[in-house]
Amino acid sequence: MIQTGITGIDEMLGSGIPRGTRVLFSMEPGVDGRLFMISTLNNALSRNHRCLVIIPTSTARVFRSEILTLKKVDIDDYKDKLVVLDSSVRDSLHKKCPVPAERVNEWKSLIRETCEKNLIDIIFVYFDLIYEDLGLEEGFRMLDITIGDRKPTVVLEHLNLEGDDLLTRFSADLAFDLIISLKSSFTPAPYFNFFTLEYTSWSNMPRRSIPYIIINNTISLYIPKIIVTGPPASGKTTFVNQASDRGISGDRKDLKGAATTVAMDLGWLHFKGFDITIYGTPGQPRFDPILPQLASHAMGVVMVIDVTRPEQMARVRTLMELAKVNLIPMVIAANKCDLPHDFSENEIRDSLHLKADVPIHFISALRRSDVRLVVESLVHCITTYPF
Amino acid sequence: MYTYKTGIALIDDVTGGLGPGMNILILAPPLSGADTLGACIARPGTGEYSIIISTEERSIDMANRFSAENLNRNHIGIIDAITKMSSPEASDSVHVKFVASPSDLTGIGIKFSQIVESIFNGEFEVSADVDLFPPPIRFYINSLSTLLMYRKLEVLYQFLHVLGAKLKKMEGFGVYILNNESFDEKTVAVMKQLMNVVIEVKVESDGHYLRIRGLSGVSGDWYKFRIENGEVVIGK
Ligand SMILES: Nc1nc2c(ncn2[C@@H]2O[C@H](COP(=O)(O)OP(=O)(O)OP(=O)(O)O)[C@@H](O)[C@H]2O)c(=O)[nH]1
Ligand SMILES: [Mg+2]
Repeated sequence: MIQTGITGIDEMLGSGIPRGTRVLFSMEPGVDGRLFMISTLNNALSRNHRCLVIIPTSTARVFRSEILTLKKVDIDDYKDKLVVLDSSVRDSLHKKCPVPAERVNEWKSLIRETCEKNLIDIIFVYFDLIYEDLGLEEGFRMLDITIGDRKPTVVLEHLNLEGDDLLTRFSADLAFDLIISLKSSFTPAPYFNFFTLEYTSWSNMPRRSIPYIIINNTISLYIPKIIVTGPPASGKTTFVNQASDRGISGDRKDLKGAATTVAMDLGWLHFKGFDITIYGTPGQPRFDPILPQLASHAMGVVMVIDVTRPEQMARVRTLMELAKVNLIPMVIAANKCDLPHDFSENEIRDSLHLKADVPIHFISALRRSDVRLVVESLVHCITTYPF
Repeated sequence: MYTYKTGIALIDDVTGGLGPGMNILILAPPLSGADTLGACIARPGTGEYSIIISTEERSIDMANRFSAENLNRNHIGIIDAITKMSSPEASDSVHVKFVASPSDLTGIGIKFSQIVESIFNGEFEVSADVDLFPPPIRFYINSLSTLLMYRKLEVLYQFLHVLGAKLKKMEGFGVYILNNESFDEKTVAVMKQLMNVVIEVKVESDGHYLRIRGLSGVSGDWYKFRIENGEVVIGK
């Protein structure tokens, strides 16, 4: 097993990338997705796997300096576990065999020898130039080797200039097991990238896309919008405040002097490799017209209900409609369970007509750990939800 | 709509400058000073920015030349595709980014996006008097000839096609240099497909000439020209 080392993605892939599989990171031009391959390589080295890197666009020295800047890892420290075939190898093979058909065989025997001699488990390939030199089938043929009775895991990074058709060829013709594509938003500002888990052969994980941002050379999955809604005074503002590392409150005092939300609460949190923006809605029905707007483009909903007030459930059902929770994942935060109450999970599920897979968590929004648990549960739903 | 002045009176007087999303190809024989002409067209005007892919000149030499020519270096981002081949440890700054070699199209694309992002995020110097949005960006490849020595024509075409689409979305303006004597007609024709305007350069015994193709209303005749203090001067 190897992992990408990217929090969030490894969880989605289950226990990791099985041995002997074929992995593709496909990048659209201009998208900074190098860290997917580099992070996977780092992870493999740190778990004592023996790796071969084939990088025809660069010298081994440049590759070393690249990893050093991006990851503060010096590949020279892994000399006994890592072999690099760089641009000089490609140059000499080109001189030796000008005919592509012969060159494939030359490459193939070089790769086989290297793998045998160094007991290589995983081959990392920057495929772009190999594809240009030899084409898809031939280019891959040189990587498809068996040593003894096992095949090394193959991880490819490719600059995809042809779009989705090429991905289909990787999965259908070359039997790739995991395909992740990296693309960018079309607008230049704000600029964000997203990765799409296109296909895995070993799980029935649905295809999904999640934006990511790069902070200090680490990939953070980016959930731009989670909304927290619920009936008046159920604890939404408290929830957003507890969940957030920093935030802005939309509360104003009402006529009786109690605080109520009149705009929205806004919070940001960094949590288990995810960067999340969280929006709390006002609870008063007079703000209902703004709810669909607030809920648009949300990736998930936390419905905060007050377990001491079962009579509010009709209101909750209205909110569920306004927030279009049939289209996006939702979790229920059954709040104020520190207070005496008599409202069971089944009663909640029945009165809200909830599907069995909608999680209900009994919490007190006054406790940060409870709130984080709900966030974690929603993130899990978002990353496994069949959108 | 924002328009980009080319600094060539023959074009600017008639068109008032070229609109966003336009691409200019400079077709020139070797040693004809095409890169000086290219630099004139691609340098940032007031409130503008330039992103330069340099495959022939190291960024440090280029930056020195810029200061000598009074170019606003703080408005220029350079993608240097050659320095790393001799100095592997060269490290990126906001204004200068390095890629492994001219064959590293993945790296070129990424560094391009990084510079665009910095410009949009205001990490480049912003002119106090002119703060335009989207920030006008001139994109300059010097030269396609080198890239074509490292990559196949079809691959480079597709790559430039995608990059050109991004440039268009951000309302930028592209300038490209191609040495027309080192490549066959097909190569030149394919590269021309990506362009809106072609400026051909030739050298005669009495000096340099240019001819503009692709702009209605702009004369397609040969004109003598010289560069004086970074300005294109059209002569008789
Ligand atoms: N005991 C207890 N009180 C809570 C809990 N969560 C919130 N409260 C209290 O409930 C009241 C309302 O909480 P808010 O967070 O303002 O509720 P809200 O949903 O944002 O209210 P509106 O914006 O007016 O709809 C406050 O007095 C909170 O201190 C909880 O888990 N336990
Ligand atoms: Mg509130």
